[in-house]
Amino acid sequence: MFFALIGILIGLIIGLILPFTYNTAYSLYISVAILACLDSIFGGIKANLENKFDTGIFISGFFGNAILAAFLAYVGDRLGVPLYYAAIFTFGGRLFENFASIRRILINRRKAKKEQ
Amino acid sequence: MNKTKKPNFTILFFSMILGIFMAGQLKQNIPILTPVTLSSIQATKYEINSVNKEIEDIEKLTMQRTEQLQILEGIALGDEDIIDILDAELENNKIAAGFEEVEGPGIIIRMEDNLAETAFGEEFDFDVIHDIDVLRIINDLRGAGAEAIDINGQRVLSISEIKCGGPIIRVNGKSLGAPFYISAIGDPKLLNAAINAPNTYAYALRTIDQLNIETTIEDHIVVPKYNGRFNFLYAKPLKEGD
Repeated sequence: MFFALIGILIGLIIGLILPFTYNTAYSLYISVAILACLDSIFGGIKANLENKFDTGIFISGFFGNAILAAFLAYVGDRLGVPLYYAAIFTFGGRLFENFASIRRILINRRKAKKEQ
Repeated sequence: MNKTKKPNFTILFFSMILGIFMAGQLKQNIPILTPVTLSSIQATKYEINSVNKEIEDIEKLTMQRTEQLQILEGIALGDEDIIDILDAELENNKIAAGFEEVEGPGIIIRMEDNLAETAFGEEFDFDVIHDIDVLRIINDLRGAGAEAIDINGQRVLSISEIKCGGPIIRVNGKSLGAPFYISAIGDPKLLNAAINAPNTYAYALRTIDQLNIETTIEDHIVVPKYNGRFNFLYAKPLKEGD
């Protein structure tokens, strides 16, 4: 949790300093991809807390989900169907699920510590 | 120990990548993506049209200015005589001010009182042409792009009054009686539409008050010059550098 927050902050600073931009036309795809990445990060934190973290699964999920989400948004744009809603609902829902799990694990740990 | 540290750094690293993307998105300054409504499309269309028109106008102005510059350069080189140029300019200004006779295509409007026995309503007032009727028709013509207008031989200028004088109307200080012949030079189609199209003022006069208003499109109309004398008594040009 802590590492992810620090990482996002550092990334934001680097991104704002670097003269790195892309075409505005892609901003929808990128935003959906960001949501997918965020979901992967939360999933990674959760797996880490459960001691089930697997680097391969994490990295493949990070890129795979992002690319799939962006691709869905792109195909939806071409077909005239807002397919990116699928990505938003799935990853948005999972984001909250993951966060709920993380919360539970952390609170349970604290409780366990107090009882000791 | 080694096993617990590694995931944290992986997460840190990928969070950084995510942060970079987020920063990229932040830098885009994306306007709020609201659904496009029909009215907003219309508004944007109008905006684009007006900007395009502005560009056109500016291009025209640039052309004019380059022409003027060429003339001035010609003078400087001694190719052209300055008196000829000043004469031409004087002529142009006279035409623009309405002190020259002009001719061109346009329409002639004949306006006459309602002469029928059974007049509209009880009021005699509704059956005659008033100064305000003529004024509004002239305003419609100007809106349709009329370049020169006269009423019964009186050129209508920016200083011309159209005033009620009992059974007559007064234009440029001269008394005019019905029927009124209004000639206007301009795009005949547009001028005709300004008088004959439904819901114009002239249309209402013709159909409701039943005044006799007839228009004829002509290829060749002569609009006389303003034949009064005119001097500014009060308005003085604002000189630069004063």
